[in-house]
Amino acid sequence: MAAARRLSMGLAGVLQCLPLCVFAALALAQAPEPQGFWTGAMQGETPPTLSGGEVIHTEALAEITARGGIILVDVDSSPRRPANLAATAIWKPLAHRNIKGSVWIPGAGAGDLDDAMNGFFRDRLMALTGGDLERPIAFYCHPRCWGSWNAAKRAIGFGYRNVYWYPDGVEGWQEAGHPLVAAQPEGPDQAER
Amino acid sequence: MKGLQLGWALACMLLFAAAAAAQDDETARAERWKDLRQTLFGDRPVRDGAGKIALEAPERALDAALVPVAITVQNPKNVKALYLVIDDNPAPVAAHVTYGPAGDPESLKLRVRVNQYTNMRAIEETLQGELYESVRLVKAAGGCSAPAGDYDEANLADMGQMKLRPVGGPAPTEGFEAQLLIRHPNFNGMQMDPITRGYTPARFLKSIDVAYNGEKAFHLESDISLATDPAIAFRVKGPRKGKLAVDAADSANGVFKHIFDLAEQGS
Repeated sequence: MAAARRLSMGLAGVLQCLPLCVFAALALAQAPEPQGFWTGAMQGETPPTLSGGEVIHTEALAEITARGGIILVDVDSSPRRPANLAATAIWKPLAHRNIKGSVWIPGAGAGDLDDAMNGFFRDRLMALTGGDLERPIAFYCHPRCWGSWNAAKRAIGFGYRNVYWYPDGVEGWQEAGHPLVAAQPEGPDQAER
Repeated sequence: MKGLQLGWALACMLLFAAAAAAQDDETARAERWKDLRQTLFGDRPVRDGAGKIALEAPERALDAALVPVAITVQNPKNVKALYLVIDDNPAPVAAHVTYGPAGDPESLKLRVRVNQYTNMRAIEETLQGELYESVRLVKAAGGCSAPAGDYDEANLADMGQMKLRPVGGPAPTEGFEAQLLIRHPNFNGMQMDPITRGYTPARFLKSIDVAYNGEKAFHLESDISLATDPAIAFRVKGPRKGKLAVDAADSANGVFKHIFDLAEQGS
């Protein structure tokens, strides 16, 4: 009897602590939202949220894209040929692939944009939406990639009211069995190939 | 009832789409390798190396900038060179190692960067010039833009410092394994500097030569796929007593030399 009570108390104790444990685990695993744009390393732990926007995952994004009417923007960086690569070294960046119907703007998710990039990004979104600030737009790159978080935040700053951030990225899309298609970069930060 | 039927139909369609997409990936990977193989080896066939060469790498790596890789060879006496190819990296040849009389190709361990989900392959070239491979799919992404550890461009004072760590048990007379650590950022030119907000210029190790008691152990050629602070474990022939000389060169004409006296180190 005493043992049973101890057990039940032990269980209650565990249950009481559970939300705290879960919270602690989440806090450890995910970064808080920065005040402005993220200017640190672009690859790493990202936040679970985006203020002013909505986080979307693969299934929901697949549904919305199937219905049409959402603009997809990929902000993955473009490979840059390093200086002084050996003459015999093989440089063959893979053709970039992303979600069908996406616009690929390398560099639009950097922490700081120069005027040329910022202007291009704003104008391109304006053209894509036809100036309709209600048009849904989703931003993505890779898992653990801050670029898409920054780009989505930037779009919210431009006044768009239906901004989605898709943190699963092309790999999440691909792993759910959805196809990827070849893409061409746009904008001022097209690295040499 | 009708809803259920529709649901099943939809589920089947989705499954079919998933299978088709997986097939696309397979086709794209095969095409990529065909292209690379032609560039690297021309018309020479690269055969299945089951029972000859093995590649160990994590199926899924959280840190794409530091993926550990191990290659083991069954018949090292018959091997003159090893390749580590990361198919979908922009510079796919992570390492090309040619062995000399003091080197033993039996095992080689490296840490590499992986830019996106990719096939990775270890290839041995035999003394007869035949090629055998072991292939693995590695799921990691973003290794190229990930920062180079605690380095920044201004803080390269200890670049080129080296350490040699013994690996394994008591020194056998047949040969031994050692791990070489070289302090070097191996900047690939795709990393953002958080202070200047520009790209840090590329600076990476191009070659590492290791000689043991005056005899060539191996010559390694590499570039930007090698992780920051390269760590390379290799085997050397002969008793663990003697001088191991390392001679490394980087893409900015940096030359780094070190001689390890193994008896002195007690290793």
